Amino acid sequence: MQKLILQFLYSLLIRNFLKLFVGVKFQNAHFLIKEKQFIIVANHNSHLDTLTILASLPSKIILRVKPVAAQDHFGNTKFKEKLSNYFINTLLIQRKRDKENINNDPIHRMIKALDDGYSLILFPEGTRGAAEVQQPLKPGIGYVLSERPSVKYVPAFLRGMGKAMPKNDNLIVPHNSSLTYGVPTQIESTEVMEIVAQVERSINRLRDEL
Amino acid sequence: MENILHLPLFENKDLLFVISLIFGILIFATLLFFVVGKLKPKANLHELKTRTNSWWIMATLFVGTTMFNHIISYFAIGMLSFIAFRELYSILAFRESDRRAVFWAFVAIPIQYYLAYIGWYGAYIIFIPIVMFLFLPLRLVLKGDTAGIIRSMSVLHWVLMLTVFGLSHMAYLLSLPDLEGFANGGRGLLLFLVFLTEINDVMQFTWGKLLGKHKIIPKVSPNKTWEGFVGGLITTTAIGYFLGFLTPLSTVQVVLVSFMIAFSGFIGDIVMSSVKRDIGVKDTGSSIPGHGGILDRIDSLSYTAPIFFHLVYYMAY
Repeated sequence: MQKLILQFLYSLLIRNFLKLFVGVKFQNAHFLIKEKQFIIVANHNSHLDTLTILASLPSKIILRVKPVAAQDHFGNTKFKEKLSNYFINTLLIQRKRDKENINNDPIHRMIKALDDGYSLILFPEGTRGAAEVQQPLKPGIGYVLSERPSVKYVPAFLRGMGKAMPKNDNLIVPHNSSLTYGVPTQIESTEVMEIVAQVERSINRLRDEL
Repeated sequence: MENILHLPLFENKDLLFVISLIFGILIFATLLFFVVGKLKPKANLHELKTRTNSWWIMATLFVGTTMFNHIISYFAIGMLSFIAFRELYSILAFRESDRRAVFWAFVAIPIQYYLAYIGWYGAYIIFIPIVMFLFLPLRLVLKGDTAGIIRSMSVLHWVLMLTVFGLSHMAYLLSLPDLEGFANGGRGLLLFLVFLTEINDVMQFTWGKLLGKHKIIPKVSPNKTWEGFVGGLITTTAIGYFLGFLTPLSTVQVVLVSFMIAFSGFIGDIVMSSVKRDIGVKDTGSSIPGHGGILDRIDSLSYTAPIFFHLVYYMAY
């Protein structure tokens, strides 16, 4: 049931809203079907980012891909948490690490989701920055990939989203934007900071190619 | 029910003839490139083929949306304005503090097309040049970010004039009152305007490729030549002369109007070229394969539509 609702919501409603009204240009993401498991890593400027990536996915795999989101923002009340988990299919994590209670630890929760067979959408900048400005990446992506080195990451670059709907403003003003995917890539090192640097290079390369 | 199934287009031989002509040209071009491609496999026809394919889609969309249902026509031309406005303002680097004013500029689009739809000429003709011209700066001032505000005020209104006010003249053609003894009406005028504008683009391109030697305005558009410009003027005026039956104009008037379409189409083209050169982009977008963005295709229309409309309005209405 949830799958049908999400497919209707994202692959039909939101996708067409983003395309026709906001002006988002989608790159075909059909190649993701062939990947068993992946982590989409993208730059982050807008709430539209998550919706755009979900709307770009082949509808077949939509339930298998969980956007990683901040508990304090999307799950600060029980009701909001339920809504996020159902309609955005989120994996809610807290921002700070928790070594004592492993079930609360963000890294552990992401790894567990991978072990359960899910793919993830991750914004390694941690939070939305000013429109069209990229912030340094947080190391979380490095920790997760160093623990599960066989999982490929897929770099993605979102352009213009922060202009259509920036942080601190809930009014959507149409603005031509685009979502571009890079190729699924395996990490070259198991060193956390080197993984982070590799991921950052991949995202920047996409940006520079535009 | 009867109203829906009743398609007046099929009773109008003039419109039907010109629409068949358009698709005839497309079939001819498609076959031509196919045969030349087979005979000379080395000739690089890829771009021409992509362009022709896009022309098929554009012609079908245009005929499908404007020649049948009255309400859909306004909606479709309004959508064209919306997409063009969005495309142009997106590359013009507005400030984050301009977002509210830009939002109101978007709101102006359905209003302008509604005014065209109900045929309230007085309101339609002042809404963007006066009402929005005065209102948008106010919205920017209320936001209070004065650094760069002059640029935002002027650029925002210029974009609105070009992509919404200018193009909405296509829609108002459909709201012109009936003239006695002129059955083709607004649809005939719209078809005449769009066909001549686009054929002028194609002809300038073709003559330029065939004979082009002397650059006409190299600093702005290095590919434009005197040969292409004059060739386009002559061909378009001649075609306009033969298609005069779509309009209520006399022969002399048709020749004048066709000449003005060809001339102003060229101006619209180089104005947009200069803007792109200023920003440093080749195309305004990438939505039409082989052509660039929507604006790369309709830049000339934003000039020909108001000029054609007001010439016709003055001479025949």
